[in-house]
Amino acid sequence: MTTTLPLPAKRTSVPPEGTRGVLMAILVLALVLGGAALIGWLLAGLTARALPSAPPYMILVYTVAALLVLMPITGRLVPWIANWYYLFPALVFLIAFTVLPIILTVNYAFTNYSGQNSGNPDSGVRTAATLSADRTVVTLSETPEADSVQAYLRCKVATCKGDTLVLLDADASSPVRARIASVAGTAVTLSAPVAAGFALSDVTRINRIERIGLANFQEIFAKASSALWPVFLWTVIFAFSTVVINGLAGLILGILLYNKRLKGRNIYRTLLFLPWAIPAVISVQMWVALFNQQFGIVNKALGLLGIIAVPWLNDPLWAKVSILLVNLWLGFPYMMTATISALATINEDLYEAASIDGASRWQQIQSITLPLLRTAFTPILLSGFAFNFNNFGIIYLLTAGGPAQEGRESTAQSTDILLSWGYNTAFASAGGQNYSLASAIALIIFFLTLAISLVNFKAAGVFEEARK
Amino acid sequence: MTAVPTPQQLPPGGYVHKEPSALRRAAPWLVAAAVITGFVVLGYFLARNMADNQKSFTIYFVERGWIRFLLFLLAASGVLALTSLIGQRIGMARTGRKISYSAVLGDQLTHLFLILVVLVAVYPLLYVLIAAFDPRNSLFAFPNFSDPNILYRTGLLPNLQVLSFENYAALFEGVTIPGWQLALAVVVGAALTALLILALMGRFGRESEGITKARTWAMRSLIAALALLVMFMVPSQFTGQSNESKFLLSVRNTLLVSGVTGFLAIVLSTTAGYAMARLRFPGRFQMLLFFIFIQMFPVFLALVAVYTLMVILGLVNTFTGLILAYSGGAIAFNTWIFKGYVESLPESLEEAAMVDGATRWQTFIQVVLPLSGGILVFIFLNQFIGTYAEFILASILMTGVDQWTVGVMLRSFTTGQFSTKWGIFSAAATLGALPIIALFYGFQGYFVGGTVSGGVKE
Amino acid sequence: MKKALTLLSLALLGSALTSQASAATLTVWTHFGGPELAWLKSQAADFTKKTGTQISLVSVPFDNIPDKFIQSAPKGQGPDVVVTLPQDRLGQLAAAGVVEPMDKYVTSRVDFDKTALTAMTYKGKLFGLPMFAESVALVYNKKLIASAPTTWPAFLAAAQKNTGNGKFGFLADLSNAYMNYGIVSAYGGYVFKNTSGTLNPKDIGLANAGAEKASGFLNDLRYKYNLVPEGVDGGAAKSAFVDGRLAMLLTGPWDIGDIKKAGIDYGIAAFPTPPGATGKWSPFVGVQGTMLNAYGKQKVAAAQFAKQISSSTAQVSFNQAGGRIPVSLSARTKLKADPVVAGFGKTISMGTPMPNIVEMGSVWGPWSAAIAQSVQKPNQNYSQILDKAVSEINSNIK
Repeated sequence: MTTTLPLPAKRTSVPPEGTRGVLMAILVLALVLGGAALIGWLLAGLTARALPSAPPYMILVYTVAALLVLMPITGRLVPWIANWYYLFPALVFLIAFTVLPIILTVNYAFTNYSGQNSGNPDSGVRTAATLSADRTVVTLSETPEADSVQAYLRCKVATCKGDTLVLLDADASSPVRARIASVAGTAVTLSAPVAAGFALSDVTRINRIERIGLANFQEIFAKASSALWPVFLWTVIFAFSTVVINGLAGLILGILLYNKRLKGRNIYRTLLFLPWAIPAVISVQMWVALFNQQFGIVNKALGLLGIIAVPWLNDPLWAKVSILLVNLWLGFPYMMTATISALATINEDLYEAASIDGASRWQQIQSITLPLLRTAFTPILLSGFAFNFNNFGIIYLLTAGGPAQEGRESTAQSTDILLSWGYNTAFASAGGQNYSLASAIALIIFFLTLAISLVNFKAAGVFEEARK
Repeated sequence: MTAVPTPQQLPPGGYVHKEPSALRRAAPWLVAAAVITGFVVLGYFLARNMADNQKSFTIYFVERGWIRFLLFLLAASGVLALTSLIGQRIGMARTGRKISYSAVLGDQLTHLFLILVVLVAVYPLLYVLIAAFDPRNSLFAFPNFSDPNILYRTGLLPNLQVLSFENYAALFEGVTIPGWQLALAVVVGAALTALLILALMGRFGRESEGITKARTWAMRSLIAALALLVMFMVPSQFTGQSNESKFLLSVRNTLLVSGVTGFLAIVLSTTAGYAMARLRFPGRFQMLLFFIFIQMFPVFLALVAVYTLMVILGLVNTFTGLILAYSGGAIAFNTWIFKGYVESLPESLEEAAMVDGATRWQTFIQVVLPLSGGILVFIFLNQFIGTYAEFILASILMTGVDQWTVGVMLRSFTTGQFSTKWGIFSAAATLGALPIIALFYGFQGYFVGGTVSGGVKE
Repeated sequence: MKKALTLLSLALLGSALTSQASAATLTVWTHFGGPELAWLKSQAADFTKKTGTQISLVSVPFDNIPDKFIQSAPKGQGPDVVVTLPQDRLGQLAAAGVVEPMDKYVTSRVDFDKTALTAMTYKGKLFGLPMFAESVALVYNKKLIASAPTTWPAFLAAAQKNTGNGKFGFLADLSNAYMNYGIVSAYGGYVFKNTSGTLNPKDIGLANAGAEKASGFLNDLRYKYNLVPEGVDGGAAKSAFVDGRLAMLLTGPWDIGDIKKAGIDYGIAAFPTPPGATGKWSPFVGVQGTMLNAYGKQKVAAAQFAKQISSSTAQVSFNQAGGRIPVSLSARTKLKADPVVAGFGKTISMGTPMPNIVEMGSVWGPWSAAIAQSVQKPNQNYSQILDKAVSEINSNIK
């Protein structure tokens, strides 16, 4: 391991170039972090032994302390690593609270992990059992819902060798997992004797989490026409049109309000700022009531205009329009503010010169304002697109994915976007806590987002800008 | 086409006029045609989907009301045209300068348009305000068909006969506040009022040194008093029986979580953003891409994994765990914003400091950070507000009403087993939104600046 | 900066430490609110006085309880007792192994309603002590309707007389599967075939001829009889009733509190047999019970607390607090004079217990979506909608 480290004699502040430099930096950082984590783990273990009530997160405290010691030392040894120290806090946080959960989730995507198959002992099929004198043979009194012990335990092989039997005492609060050596009739021979002092009362099986390969992905693509494709299409349409609509509305209002002659424009601005200032968790739930087809204020107002009640949240197509409208209400102040502040950066002389040249107001907007706004707006529109692509909040709070649409999976209704579809699968009653399927969906969303962002970034030249 | 020089042949900074091609000139029209066709098709399907809808018997219906509305708009515009004409004449007579009639009329019509927009945008909020005073847990407008006033007959104005403070009383039931907290609250209130007055003075009078100084001090005492309040308010002060009586506690929890998260966001993203903007070392670009792309994974669907991680660390149901989980998701965006800001700063300042013998780190701390006040406030506020209303992660990680944040509490009112407590919800929502609204208006300038600082560069 | 970080982490630790609960107490999760929470607190105080065991009550939103319970219990972070859980997630909770069979803790069961005990029994084991039952019923405004109609023609006449001009004769949340199961069952639909007490998850009756007719009837309530307009959900319907503009409302005991508060003179009755139905209207009966954590270290004390709050006297005082319908037979006798208990007691005895097997988790989503679609627009192909739902249910069950 030491050979890959740069020799201390060479102590240079010039980092190695190219890919080798990157890999070396990552290696050094990984060593520092790994070392700190190891020290933290050892110290936490020691603490736990000395003080059993010590909380488990002490490992974090020790690791941070170890990092604070290790980092300057490494900095002395490898001076060029100091550049990386600026990134280190953010990097550690990303790894601990983003990358680690992602790895776990990707892992779940290839299993059958669900509320039911949670890898824990089943308490519905517990059955009484007795232990032999040599404490290795457990005899089951019956096998609920199954003809044989093999079927009851869902053994992988006929002898059940290597499978797990859960042993419970009368209190049943600390299940013991025992390895099976063989099974004969209702007698299960364990590969090791049960610890002395354990009074066996019941046994049960484990609802295992098993690796099922690509089955989750196969399921998603088998049902793609009633879930993945329509949901994906709507997600893209939603994200795109909401950005365009909000951008246009913000642009128009911003240009109107930037008019210096207009009296009271600060009052308008202050009032129009309000929808942005109110947390969405509050205002979106308010819109649910306002959009009610019979009792909502929106249809009452339309009735006054002689328009019949619109099924805002009760028709698959209208619900989509409602979502766009509410998102417009939520989002236009941001775009308006962005327009105003971008306009403020435009030099007044340009307009003066143009009006001397006899350009009309409209011509000025067309050939000065809009092109200059474009540079300011591109990143805002791009981040708006990325944000709305996964804008779970408005969907969940406004329609919860509904209304129901014929020919769709119940987890992917008419206004569900990719993220809410995954959420329904994992956490709503409709999906039955299918965590593994949701993880597979998460992976698919990740790749779709990645692909779309790559195209967007390429088009907007983000890469060139970042590289310089 | 051959006549157009390639970019290499252009003189530096030169401009060659190009006649746009036919396709390019036609493009706006083509786009417009496509959009119009799209709207027509959409409109057709929308109309078809409500074709068999009958007139509802609960909605007061005015036959062809829209014609009257259009007539009203037309009349209003006519009146404006007339007043503009009078105004223009009077103005010209008084000032003796030539005033364009179309400009005056345009301004008047802009006012009319903006008033309508404001009405539509703000009116819905009125309903929540009123529902907060309705003890019957209803957010719906019931028309009174026999009322002579058309606004009541349609239900456009809510019925104000049953109003009471019951919902607000429920939020504060059994809350005990010791004297010193009351004193702190008074300090907070006083500082807020002072800030407001100073802001008004600043707007109408001229900016003087004294005002700026007073404002800084008011701000400092406000933050200090608020921080003390948040830190030392404890669950045992809330003796009410119901969950809603812990509302103030949930506001305190949220302020604690959001505040620390906002602070962490600054700590984590400034160093990283600075390095990415200024330092040149192999791996910088790759790291930037890693930061951006790793955050595209919907961590939201990794909730089970986050929960498992927090269980392993023993941080489930602690504010620490929630703060750490939030902070992990805050890094990429804020780093990007700060990087953009640093790039807009002139590099010469830092170079001067380094020539004077300052290290990179010292330059960062002593030159760059003091210049970044505005953007740091923006990062803090953005994170604070984003965290303030979050409810999914909070409801998964936090158990028990003493640990709830405002978002979780608000959600619990609307997701009872069967019933929705709209009254309590509205009361809590109006109070819960106040801190955020205050922040928005107090720091309006920072929001305006921050929204574009990532994109606009000198 | 580093110093600040260290200080910060120390401050965070401080806040983490203060929110740890001590281990000598029983932790109880509950979704109760308002007066019911107050009732539970007084019960907990009684328990502490009697046994010396402290009780820490933790409020968890109803929707979150099952998932949180499944996630946290195996990791030793769960509660000792949950007050209360309905039976429809029971199978899943047992498969995840987080609920403890209570047979050995519960010695006497004679006082409990049979339906309630059946609902809490899964695979022959009693997993919860029933506390209250609920089902929907027809709640009517006595000012608008003198007595409840008992036949469909009478019902229709009464409803149509009161409909129009800003008033309603009858409202219900038509798109909610749970609320409308009574109609499905009246026409001969069922969720799982019940053969002498065991439910067969292979035999799903939500797309049979009866279920189709039921969907048609629900659609007729909206588009043929013009009683329940689009966009009426439970909340809107209740608001209309509370406002005195609705004659009959299909709802459960949970809305009675707001109705009483509004001072409406109401009565409770069963929904009449719908036209052309083969059986009586038989709504879903949900039973909620107190359950124990299988990983709990203090099960005896926990069971004792569960027994205390399910006792006959406790159920009477619980009813007085929140108006829920007790499942203790002696408590019901004591509350005979209460119109709510009597009214809903009758519909509960007419009702069908909600299935409690693990497969029920796969039913709700597709079935709810199908019912919601059936009432979205007039004259639909109900068999196609319901068949799609059943095939999705079957593929989810596997």
